[in-house]
Amino acid sequence: MFGFLKGLAVTISRLPKKKVTLQYPEVKPEWPERFRGIHEFIPERCIVCNQCARICPTSCISLSGTRGEDRKLRIDTYDINFEICILCDLCTEVCPTEAIKMTGEFELAAYSRDQLYKNMEWLYQNYLRHSGAKELEAGTGETGGPGEAGVGAAAGGGAASEQKAGGTDE
Amino acid sequence: MAEIRTEEMLMNVGPQHPSTHGVLRLVVKLDGETIVDVDPVVGYLHRGTEKLAEDLQYTQIIPYTDRMDYLAAMLNNYALVHAVEEAMELQIPERAEYLRVIVMELNRIASHLLFIGAYLLDLGAMSPFLYVFQDRERILQLFNEICGARITYNYMRIGGVKWDAPPGWIEKVQQFVPHMRESIKMLHDLITGNEIFLNRVKGIGAYDAETAIAYSLSGINLRCTGYKWDLRRNRPYSIYDRFDFEIPVGKNGDCFDRYILHLEEMEQSLRIVEQACGQIPEGPVMGKVPKILRPPAGEYYSGIEGARGELGVYFVSDGKDKPYRLKFRRPSFVNLQLLPSLLKGQNMANLIAILGAVDIVLGEVDC
Repeated sequence: MFGFLKGLAVTISRLPKKKVTLQYPEVKPEWPERFRGIHEFIPERCIVCNQCARICPTSCISLSGTRGEDRKLRIDTYDINFEICILCDLCTEVCPTEAIKMTGEFELAAYSRDQLYKNMEWLYQNYLRHSGAKELEAGTGETGGPGEAGVGAAAGGGAASEQKAGGTDE
Repeated sequence: MAEIRTEEMLMNVGPQHPSTHGVLRLVVKLDGETIVDVDPVVGYLHRGTEKLAEDLQYTQIIPYTDRMDYLAAMLNNYALVHAVEEAMELQIPERAEYLRVIVMELNRIASHLLFIGAYLLDLGAMSPFLYVFQDRERILQLFNEICGARITYNYMRIGGVKWDAPPGWIEKVQQFVPHMRESIKMLHDLITGNEIFLNRVKGIGAYDAETAIAYSLSGINLRCTGYKWDLRRNRPYSIYDRFDFEIPVGKNGDCFDRYILHLEEMEQSLRIVEQACGQIPEGPVMGKVPKILRPPAGEYYSGIEGARGELGVYFVSDGKDKPYRLKFRRPSFVNLQLLPSLLKGQNMANLIAILGAVDIVLGEVDC
């Protein structure tokens, strides 16, 4: 009987303690800097070395690039299939130019499987939402001054490649 | 009065049952309340890790090991990288070894905490589960800071670790140690003396050291019989020979001994963490390793003391960057083999108490 009461005393002593539960959807958790969430991708930095696609244990990255007029490789498409991505961080580890990085974003639930295929545009937007926004605030952004210019460049690049693709079709 | 006709009954416990800790199915043959026969059916969580590994480079296998024993993924990480390092005879920087030991022992504590919480939940006590999760949460928070994940760490690399500890991390671990000691005391007060709990576990599911060795049990399932066998001492790996710690052993080999050993091992792990935090040197965390890892052709085996027993990695290399064959010796799977003979003749209500004390993780049983 004594041991039983001793246990009860522990329970009662815990009653006035502060609650530790996080009311999740209302209160978001704060993740540390190294948190491995959904990727972000910066097309300007990518040199199409294909290392991320090769190291990926589940082969969830597919990418393609073309050689521009200045003999430099330029990324055209970059897709991550989050149905099979295990967020292991090996792709960001091998990336020599830090074109692919991980953010603190972790909410991936979707209503259809198709929505889990994220393309380059989505991943770049994810960059603007996370690191990009932070870098702009700190004034250390890769794109320099105004954010609009960066978006414009990427969108322009995308449009150009589409035009090119259209051109080859004709 | 005419004699009542009785017959044996077949009952499925699981695969979807909260007390089987995952997707284990036990086909129980019952005679009234007494268990006549038990047939554990495994494989509901089989993902073919060993076969997948044959098509992966050694670095790429590390995230897969996270998903075997998902309560002690750091130890799984280490088992694999240690086997490859032994095979390639790589030099590991001191700081990396110390960081590995700290995270491994913290992970052992987290895993044992969850055992205690889940075991008491099996026996019908709700509050210990909530208490241990608070402490486990602190450990997971520390892991989140050092490697960016709470469960699937993928922290170790062949030749070192992925990241150095962030500034102030070691101090946080040092602050955690006394806090955890308090928590262990609290758990003793809360559970160890409780008469209801003692009646459920004392003398239940007992076996002797001979049986344990015959079934090649390891870890706490072996030590609870009084047989002192811990790979950290008996076959020292990493830098465990530098630390001063004891191997707690039981004597009756029953469920209570297995429970109390988990608590005592946590204290020893805290001692190791404390010493490692004091001794940790500065320096690099990644050794010089070739870009493409090609262990020389041959067969290699290395075992470490996992949270549940001897966690072994056996692989055959044919000199290429991928293993020819990789086999994990998972302690949960081996320890589970004793269950049918242990349960025969027991009361049905003891099934959960005995199964829970074996401390299996289904991700590891099925691999």
